[in-house]
Amino acid sequence: MWGRLAKAGPVQRRYLRRMALSSVFYVAAIFAASRLLDREAPVSALGVVIALMPGVAVLGMIGALARLYLELGDEYLRMLEVRKAMVATGLTLAVCSVWGILELFTPVPRLPLFWVFPMWAMGLGLGALVNKLTLGDAGCA
Amino acid sequence: MKNRLRVLRAERGWSQQELATRLDVSRQSVNAIETGRYDPSLPLAFRIADVFELAIEEIFQREE
Repeated sequence: MWGRLAKAGPVQRRYLRRMALSSVFYVAAIFAASRLLDREAPVSALGVVIALMPGVAVLGMIGALARLYLELGDEYLRMLEVRKAMVATGLTLAVCSVWGILELFTPVPRLPLFWVFPMWAMGLGLGALVNKLTLGDAGCA
Repeated sequence: MKNRLRVLRAERGWSQQELATRLDVSRQSVNAIETGRYDPSLPLAFRIADVFELAIEEIFQREE
């Protein structure tokens, strides 16, 4: 990771820093929520605030991605990143739509919405592979 | 679209990184344009033309 960080441009370094901060906050918020909250307890304002914290961290990750797309001045690198996002979006829409229809008509287990963002993030990895195979460059982030 | 980027760069003795620095883009961008894997936008094509002090059509040609 450090070698990649050293080679990265300032935009990518800012993106990696924002993503790392959001990820640390996410892990801490999940840990805090799982330790402090009891699903059987009555709903309280503090409980809702604590439960919302991991979601705030995910918003931070989405914001870091949005800033990356906005700040990347190199049009080729931006195209690679946008292609990755398109593959990730297609994968997520396909899985969620097909599974959702299955849920309507068959007794398959429900897919928790919690998994939508991790699935999309995994789709970025697939998008990087598609870029590498078709254009020779995976991306820059 | 074909281009003469590699020849023009070689004539001036510039590395891909040197051209990338002059254009304020990544070395991957220069490599992708040179190898025909990416066609630059019009603003970037104008920047390339400015760097080589040539007209766009002297660098980029339509694929026959």
